[in-house]
Amino acid sequence: MGTRKTKTQEKISNRQLLFIVFIIRATLIIATLPVLTTGHAAQNAWISSIITMIASIVVIIAISALSLKFPKMTIIEYSKVLLGKTGGTIMSLGFLWLFLHIAATDTRIYSEVLADGFLTSTPLVVTAGTIVAVSALAVYLGIEVIGRAADVLMPVIISFFVLSIVASLSLFDLKNLEPVFAGGITPVISGTVTPIGISVQFLSLGLLIPTLTEPEKAVSTSAVAAFLAGLALIVTSVIVVGALGERLSSSAIFPLFKTSRSTVFTRFLERLEAPGIAAWGLGLFIDVSTFLYCGSKGLSEVLGVEDYRPLVIPMAVIWITLSLHTYDDLFELLRLFRPETFFPYVSIVGFIPVLILWGAYIIKASSGKLHGLQKHK
Amino acid sequence: MSGVCREVLINEMKRLLDIISSIGFSKGKPGLGLKNDRLDISEREAIQKELSLKTSLDENLRIFKLFSGPSPDIIVRELKFGQAKVRTAIIHVDTLADTALIEGLIGTLSVDPFQTPVGEVHKREIFREYKERLLRSSKAKEAETFTDMWQGLINGNTAIIFDGMAKALICETQAHIGRSIEEPATETVIRGAREGFVENAETNIALIRKRLKTPNLWVKKFIIGHLTQTDVSVLYIKGLAGEELISEVYRRINSIEMDAVIESGNIEDMIEDNPFAIFPLVFRTERIDRVVSMLLEGRVCIITDGTPFVMVVPMNFPMLLQAPDDYYEKVPIGSFLRILRFVAFTASIILPGTYVGIITFHHELIPTELLLRLTAAKEGVPFPVVFEVFMMELVFEFLREAGVRLPKAIGSAVTIVGALVLGEAAMRAGLVSAPVVIIVSFTAIASFTVPTFSFGIAARLIRFIFIILGGVLGLFGIQFGLLVMLVLLSGLRSFGYPFLSPIAPLIISDWKDLYFRVWRWADVTRPKLEGGREPIREKRGQEPRPDKQNEGRNETYGNQKDENPRKDK
Repeated sequence: MGTRKTKTQEKISNRQLLFIVFIIRATLIIATLPVLTTGHAAQNAWISSIITMIASIVVIIAISALSLKFPKMTIIEYSKVLLGKTGGTIMSLGFLWLFLHIAATDTRIYSEVLADGFLTSTPLVVTAGTIVAVSALAVYLGIEVIGRAADVLMPVIISFFVLSIVASLSLFDLKNLEPVFAGGITPVISGTVTPIGISVQFLSLGLLIPTLTEPEKAVSTSAVAAFLAGLALIVTSVIVVGALGERLSSSAIFPLFKTSRSTVFTRFLERLEAPGIAAWGLGLFIDVSTFLYCGSKGLSEVLGVEDYRPLVIPMAVIWITLSLHTYDDLFELLRLFRPETFFPYVSIVGFIPVLILWGAYIIKASSGKLHGLQKHK
Repeated sequence: MSGVCREVLINEMKRLLDIISSIGFSKGKPGLGLKNDRLDISEREAIQKELSLKTSLDENLRIFKLFSGPSPDIIVRELKFGQAKVRTAIIHVDTLADTALIEGLIGTLSVDPFQTPVGEVHKREIFREYKERLLRSSKAKEAETFTDMWQGLINGNTAIIFDGMAKALICETQAHIGRSIEEPATETVIRGAREGFVENAETNIALIRKRLKTPNLWVKKFIIGHLTQTDVSVLYIKGLAGEELISEVYRRINSIEMDAVIESGNIEDMIEDNPFAIFPLVFRTERIDRVVSMLLEGRVCIITDGTPFVMVVPMNFPMLLQAPDDYYEKVPIGSFLRILRFVAFTASIILPGTYVGIITFHHELIPTELLLRLTAAKEGVPFPVVFEVFMMELVFEFLREAGVRLPKAIGSAVTIVGALVLGEAAMRAGLVSAPVVIIVSFTAIASFTVPTFSFGIAARLIRFIFIILGGVLGLFGIQFGLLVMLVLLSGLRSFGYPFLSPIAPLIISDWKDLYFRVWRWADVTRPKLEGGREPIREKRGQEPRPDKQNEGRNETYGNQKDENPRKDK
């Protein structure tokens, strides 16, 4: 295959992958807090968060462990090996669509937040366009650059996040978290469905793991990242519910920002959601550029194009269009995240294909057909 | 009309004939082709390159006349030496060569004439004898072509040609011209050496050697520019600098083909990794101590003759914000100053843009009282704030540029005119608001804290982009700008090494010298350059502890303790 010959030597370290996965996971989940806003978990959102964390670690291990069976191949390449050319291509196109769709949705949400609170008269296309433009630039310069940007942004995002959390502590009241398990387990589970569904994002690992310097450690790296992101989610949901009370926080679209907005330290320190929004924006940049990288890289492999770079700009343009025209407004967008719509959608396009790939792998491995193919470069 | 045309045609044909004849006859009568005035420089050089010294002195001198022209600063003296009165020519370039040394040279040749009779057969012997004799007093080497001889002459050496020998002896007689060693004007320090580099490359190498006495400091010399023939020397510590890095530097310098090198910037243009980068990718400095400390980190330095600016590769971003004082000052103070510089640098890039963004888009982020003050100050100013800030920054850049170009005495006058007349009057006239003047002045002061001048210029350029971004998209625009900057900087490399290291890629062990500087005893490892070697710089555990430091003193103290009533019990 032509693609393999010219595969770039660009490498990211495992630390950078950890940062990237953490940022991808943390930004959207923390900003929209789906454990609280999508189901009926209410004050028990923190229990939902724990379940979400465990489930997302399981998902991430399932995806990265499969990739590790073919350490030099991307998910696009090994799905062709496992399922044959046609089956592999169909499945890959599903994955690529997911990358495109999730990142376009992320872009749209962020543009809406900006339009709502900061740039009220700026058209959405400008904000979405700038976000995608800078991401496209990063993708054009290669995955190494994205990794390095994650290195720089990780401390910034963490410190802004901590600042938002600490600022909200002044409103915190433990009574808001009671009663525990008021409605039984069902509402708690309903809160976990969407965030677990969002962990379909981790499919991007299938394209990132081949670029790692130490791919053999990929499973632990990604599991640690998912664990850290889960911790951040738990802390956030506890703080938000504790600070705002369940009714107010469930009705908010961006609960964390609402919390920090309600905080007033002195007359001079108000509107503390700005750092939170900035952290989200920085995280979104990593998020979008990773997906744009995975999307264009994956598409180049599906199409058999040697270099993914010519695909970046067309993809970016489709991205902007998609993020603007998929949804009429923010509420339509949020309807997508309802457990009953979102989970079936990502299951069909994302989770079930992964299970099929695992099944195919187990069958083929046990019959010994994969011998020699796995280490194929 | 036709007459003119014919004249041109004839002239051109003459020229062609001349060239053909000059090339054709150069075998029979060497150097004759140089008589042709119509030869272009490359044609002249091609002929000159092939000329080798002849046996006959007269012929050599004749060719030399054609070779270098009737320039009066090239002095040719004809003398006779030895018992056999061998005709000899001594050639040197006036003022480049030291006259006293030449006198000494002639002295060495003339006293104690040989005992051996000299004839045609023994001319070779004379040459060897003279060479040995000269070697006793100074460096001497042979040259067989005119070009080699010229190389020697132009470096201030003296050429001696004997009749009957197709060789010249080149003897070291360099005179030291150029300014004396001074404190560098662009990089001043409070504590630290006051010596800076000068224009003479050999002096500069000697200055480095004086501070770095190891024989493992290796120097490799290149000659770049076929007209200027500038010496470009590459220095590194053998065994410390990565061999791949060294060969990469050699490769890039070797591949340069140009006619002239005026300043090290010309070399930099040819060897840097990315020509479109705003930030410098090659570190330049006038300070000897910085170059020495960078050589000790396994970097390679490039010294160009004719400029006090020495280049060091590879460089990274933090080097631009480190001042030499940081290392000489107490650690807490040095670290504080460095963090201050990082803050000031960031401010000098984004502050005006942020101000524009907040005033234009995000009133709600400003506390009410402050907002009222700002609005009151802006009252009556007819321009939008983005235009106001942009214009004031531009005016400031004009002032700064004017200050640099003008003679020092007038330079200060410009500053006064700029500050008083423009700032004050513009404010009184209600053309700019006071906060804008404050922001612009603050930015200017912040930008002066950057210790590397080339970095400061880059920051100026970026500032204008941020002002526009702030005016168009507010704080989101600033974020966008910072992200673009981050992406572009992350993609930069200096001789293959990531420009943003150790920030990205993150190298935690090198953070000891990033925002904070750790104590010298804790700084046991060298910065991690890929391919760099010998990571350990010194042995661990040398930190001064109160008990250890007083070990020596305790004894004397102990002797006195019987008499000393102050000893506590």
